Amino acid sequence: MAVESNVIDAAGPYDRAKALSAFKLGDVTFYWITRLSAISVLLILGGIIISLIVGAFPAIKEYGLSFLWTQRWAPSADPPVLGALGPMYGTLVTSFIAMLIAIPVGLGIAIFLTELCPQWLRRPIGMAIELLAGIPSIIYGMWGFFVLGPFLANTFQPFMISVFDGVPVLGAIFAGPPSYLSLFNAALILAIMVLPFITSISVDVFKTVPPVLKEAAYGVGCTTWEVVRSVVIPYTRVGIIGGVMLALGRALGETMAVTFIIGNSFRISSSIFAPGTTISAAIASEFAESDGLHQSGLILLGLLLFVLTFFVLAAARLMLMRLETKAGK
Amino acid sequence: MSEMSVSVSAPTVHPGSQPLPEAPAKVTARNLNFYYGDHHALKNINLVLGANRVTAFIGPSGCGKSTLLRIFNRMYDLYPGQRADGQLLLDQTNILDPKLDLNLLRARVGMVFQKPTPFPMTIYENIAFGIRLYEKISKSEMDGRVEKALRGGALWNEVKDKLNASGLSLSGGQQQRLCIARTVAVRPEVILFDEPCSALDPISTAKVEELIQELSENYTIAIVTHNMQQAARVSDKTAFMYLGELIEFDDTSKIFTSPTDRRTQDYITGRFG
Repeated sequence: MAVESNVIDAAGPYDRAKALSAFKLGDVTFYWITRLSAISVLLILGGIIISLIVGAFPAIKEYGLSFLWTQRWAPSADPPVLGALGPMYGTLVTSFIAMLIAIPVGLGIAIFLTELCPQWLRRPIGMAIELLAGIPSIIYGMWGFFVLGPFLANTFQPFMISVFDGVPVLGAIFAGPPSYLSLFNAALILAIMVLPFITSISVDVFKTVPPVLKEAAYGVGCTTWEVVRSVVIPYTRVGIIGGVMLALGRALGETMAVTFIIGNSFRISSSIFAPGTTISAAIASEFAESDGLHQSGLILLGLLLFVLTFFVLAAARLMLMRLETKAGK
Repeated sequence: MSEMSVSVSAPTVHPGSQPLPEAPAKVTARNLNFYYGDHHALKNINLVLGANRVTAFIGPSGCGKSTLLRIFNRMYDLYPGQRADGQLLLDQTNILDPKLDLNLLRARVGMVFQKPTPFPMTIYENIAFGIRLYEKISKSEMDGRVEKALRGGALWNEVKDKLNASGLSLSGGQQQRLCIARTVAVRPEVILFDEPCSALDPISTAKVEELIQELSENYTIAIVTHNMQQAARVSDKTAFMYLGELIEFDDTSKIFTSPTDRRTQDYITGRFG
């Protein structure tokens, strides 16, 4: 027995070196495969940016910076007059309203699911939310067009318009006439679409709160609301903001459902019940029939959306970093 | 302070621990049972926590010590499928009453956990938070209360210059004393310690033990511990639990010198557990 093990030991170093060199080849291959995969992301991103810039170049040359603050959009005029103010306004306003609705509702659902919900109700609600995320956006668009739009125009909109009639500022925001196709309807659909993102990410991060921390808060006599407000949300706020930003990213770029119900009007109106358009809706509805400078203008719009989304996400990152340093982590 | 290392022989009882006169009952358990779903975790517990006394709970892991502690402030209520029956009184209040205001109960029965659990806020806010739940007081009054609580937690001198730092920036031992201060700040009547020193180094442990002794002048204290020296050092009465039953409950000096039950004897001399 002892002799045998000696023999194996003696042969060991040689065999091991050989085995290791075989591993090394595998290692190098593995390293390069993963590295190329990672680099391909940069290449694709760079490629998209470059082709956007190239495509948008005629429009940039023609309109320059005034593209940003021109409201008129007249592609069939001679020469065509194109301005991005309307779509940019619509994109920001619809996303803002959508977040205003979706954040409290989404967090509310997440809090209910993790802290309050009886066990038997947890799965059905959780599954419903996942299904909500799985509905294709075209379906949301059709539903918004045929069901939600008429419903809002007949009930909610007239109510808000009459309530705020004559009130400064608010009266202008909720001004008539009611419309099937409006910024508000699009924002509401967007809110429903991004709800699953906010909810499911919040549920996940709420579950990371150590039970003992919650028990400690209950232990000094907190109610559930106080535990959520003072312990659960502060503990998880970085994750929540991450979820909200993901949702915002989706809301800014969402195309199909919005194109259906926003009305595709390039005019800016103070009322959120008036039709409008977003960058992606404008591109989707016009790109197929465009050419020349018009097409270049639409590509420039796409580039703007790209930049807009980039800045929103960068701002979110910055905010997260500042929060983290403030929390002393 | 006796030595920290675990010895095989029965630990020595803290000096001057002649059995104290019988204290009035603060918490009374009669035929208390507890179930995790179908699992019968505590069986017919009968005991009395004397007012302003320190009662230690010892026993091997899984014997139900922490479970018992979590009944005293109904912490088990947070989890479905856990239930208790029998009788459990805090003074004359029935703790097991389903209609009882749990927030009020937990204000009267505070708890300190095994791991330090500072809330994700500043040191000052960690203390002020609990006070604010029950009382509306001015800023200056609050400052006074926070200082008093931090002094009560033997932490004031270490944190007085950084009250606005995050509670999470403190060391483990400091965090634990912060949690004790936070518990004290609410002015409870009973404080439950669930293995408060098991995540602490020996020096922090000594500080917390000292603190527990001081607190017993004003509070009724129940402490679960795996460290028998600790039980001997800090407690007036000791309860030995085994497999969900209360085997023996008596003056600490008696439990550690002449236990009546064979299993207690075996446990404290380190023969099992």
